[in-house]
Amino acid sequence: MNEPTYHYHGDIYVSYRAISTIAYQSALESYGVVGFAPKNLADGLVQAIVNDPTSGVDVHYDKKSITIDLYVIVEYGTRIKSVATSVAGNVKYKVESTIGLPVSAVNVHVRGLRISNPD
Amino acid sequence: MTDNRVSPAQESEVRVVDKLEVGGQELKKYVQASLNWLKTNQQIVNSLNVFPVPDGDTGTNMVLTMQAAYNEIANSTEENIGKMAHAVAQGALMGARGNSGVILSQLWRGFARALDNLEKMNVDILIRALHEARNTAYKGVVRPVEGTILTVAKDVDIAAEKARVETANLKSILEKIVAAADDSVKRTPELLPVLKQAGVVDSGGKGLFYILEGILRYTQNQSLDTPIGAVQTIAALDMAQAMEEIEPGQDYEVVVDFQPASPLDLDSFYRDLSEMGTSIQVGEGDGMYRMHIHVPTDNRYKPIDYTMKLGTISKIAIENLMLQTGGVKSMAQKMAQVKLTPIEPGQIAVVAVSPGNGISQIFASLGANAIVSGGQTMNPSTEEILHGFEDLPTDQIIILPNNKNIILAAQTASAVSVKKVAVIPSRSVPQGLSAILRFDPEGDFDAVVNEMTSAVNDVVTGEITTATRTVELNGVQAHQGEIIALLNGTLITSTTNLDEACFNLLSQAKVEDYERITFFYGDNIEKSEVDRIIEAVTEKYPEHEVEVHEGGQSHYHFIIAIE
Repeated sequence: MNEPTYHYHGDIYVSYRAISTIAYQSALESYGVVGFAPKNLADGLVQAIVNDPTSGVDVHYDKKSITIDLYVIVEYGTRIKSVATSVAGNVKYKVESTIGLPVSAVNVHVRGLRISNPD
Repeated sequence: MTDNRVSPAQESEVRVVDKLEVGGQELKKYVQASLNWLKTNQQIVNSLNVFPVPDGDTGTNMVLTMQAAYNEIANSTEENIGKMAHAVAQGALMGARGNSGVILSQLWRGFARALDNLEKMNVDILIRALHEARNTAYKGVVRPVEGTILTVAKDVDIAAEKARVETANLKSILEKIVAAADDSVKRTPELLPVLKQAGVVDSGGKGLFYILEGILRYTQNQSLDTPIGAVQTIAALDMAQAMEEIEPGQDYEVVVDFQPASPLDLDSFYRDLSEMGTSIQVGEGDGMYRMHIHVPTDNRYKPIDYTMKLGTISKIAIENLMLQTGGVKSMAQKMAQVKLTPIEPGQIAVVAVSPGNGISQIFASLGANAIVSGGQTMNPSTEEILHGFEDLPTDQIIILPNNKNIILAAQTASAVSVKKVAVIPSRSVPQGLSAILRFDPEGDFDAVVNEMTSAVNDVVTGEITTATRTVELNGVQAHQGEIIALLNGTLITSTTNLDEACFNLLSQAKVEDYERITFFYGDNIEKSEVDRIIEAVTEKYPEHEVEVHEGGQSHYHFIIAIE
C-alpha cells in the first residue's frame, strides 16, 4: 500500500489513519471548528456504529506530499473564511511538524453550522 | 524618539467615568481608545509569534478586526448601548482576521448579547457582559487551548466578579480587570509549553490586554499614542542595539538595568530621558527594566543619577560611541557592504544562505540577489528565509540553502510563499557555489533549476572543524576538541593537527582526480596559519590550481571545494 514513507536505515510507513488522527485533533483545537460531518453516506453509517476518531478527515498521499480534506461543522456567528483559513493553517503545521512530510493542501469543506448562541 | 509628546496633564478635557451609567456614545469612545492603544502596541504583539505558519501576525490581525468594528460605528450617533454594542460586534465579525480576530469577534458578540435592549450600561451589567463574552468565546471551540486569549478572557471575567464585591466604581473595576489581564498574560507560558520554549507570552492574550488597557487609559486621561509601546523584552532590546546606526552628537551609550521601587510611570520616564539624550529604548522582563540611551559627553552620568532615584540599579554599562564609529563596524554595516546583484522584474532571483561574510560576498559577486545569514549552528527560520526574498521585485525565486539542515526550512518557505519558488538541494557552500555558476537570470525557470540542481554534484565538499563532543562515527573515533575532517558530510578523520586533517581529507577525496582546490577560511583561524597550510598544499599538489578566499564562517576552519 502506498502509505506515506520515509527512508532511514529502512523504510518508515505512516498510516493514513495516524495522519487523520493528528489532523482531527488539531482541527478540534482550532477556534471555530465545533465538530466533523461524515463525508458521505457510508462514512455516516460507520460513524453511527463506531465512534471513529478520524471521521470527517480524508488523507491522500502522492509519494511526495500529503493532501488533507476536512469536513467540518463551524460555530454560527464566526467569520467562516477566517475560521477555515486558520484551521487549514493549524492542521498543516501540526501534521508537517509531527510527521515530517510536506502537506501540499488542506481543503476545508464547511458542512454545516452549529447554532449555540442565537442572536 | 525625541518628538514632543502631549503629557496627559496638558489635556484639558476631564472624563467623568465614575458615573454609574455608560451610553452608546461612551462605548464608541472606549472602542476607539482600544483600537488606538492596540495600534500603538501592534508591533509588540506581532513580535510574540511562536508558530511559523499559523498566527503569523496576531497584532495586525487584531488591529484589523478592531478597525472593522470601529468603522461600523465611527459615524453612528446611537445613544442606546445595546444597539451600539451589536454594531461593534457586527463590524468585528465581518472584519475578523486570523484566529485571534475570530475569538475577539466572539467576545464582542457575547458582550453585545448581554446588553440586548439596554439603554445604558452600569457596573453590574458590565460584569454580566464580560461573563457572557467569555462564555460565548469558549463555545466556539471543542477543545479550548489554555494559555491563550481565551484564558485571559476567563481570568478577566473572574477578576471582574471579584472586584464587584469590593467596589461599585467603574474606574476601580477597570483597573482591577486590566491588572488581572496583565497577570493572566504573564502566566500563559506556564499553561502552554510552546510559549515557554519560545520565551514569549501569548500574543492574542497580550492583544486583549492592550484592548482593555486602552479603555482604562482613556478613562484615566492618559495618552494613547505614546510609545510605551517601545517597551520590549530585554532580549529583543539587545538585538535592536546591535543593528543601530550611530549619529553625530551621540557620544556615549548608557545602559542601566534597574528595578523600580514603585510602578514605573513610563510617560514621564520617557519625557525626562528625552531631555538628556536620544535613541531611548526601554525593555522589561520580570519586573526588571533596562534603559538604553545615547547622550552627549556632558550628560553621560545623568541617566544613571536619574534612574537611581526611581529604584535599585543592578547594572550599568557606558560605552564611548565615538571610538566605535571610527573603528569596528556594526554587523548591520558589515552586511550592507555585500554588494548584491540588483534584480529586474521578470528575472529569476537567487537567494543564498551564507554562513559568513566572505562567502556572502562571493555569492553576491556570482549573481545572488539576496543573502540570508545562517549555517551549521545558526539555521535560519522559515520566516527569515521568506523575508529574504518576499520583497524582491520578481515572482521567480531560487533558494540555495547550502546546508543540509536548512533545506527543509527553505522548502517550507517555498510552500508558504505565493511566489514560484524552487529549492536547489545544495548541502554545502561549495555545492551552492557550483550551482550558482550555472545560474542564468534570463533563462527558462524550470531549465535553470534543472541545470543548477545537476551542478550540485559536480563538486566534492570538504570541511575542517573542531569536534564539539566525543563520538564514534563510521569507524572514526573523534574526541572532543580534536580537529575533524568531513568529506561530503561524512566524518573521515580526527586528529589533533590541523595540517594532518587537511592532508588526510585531500587524499581521501582522491584529489589527484580533480583539477582545482578552493579553500574558504573561517573566522576561527589566523591568516598566517592559513598561508602556511596553503603553501604546504601547493607544494604537495603542484599540478593543481589552489585558491584561497576569506569565508568568514564561524566554527569551520576551512570549507573546501574540490572540482
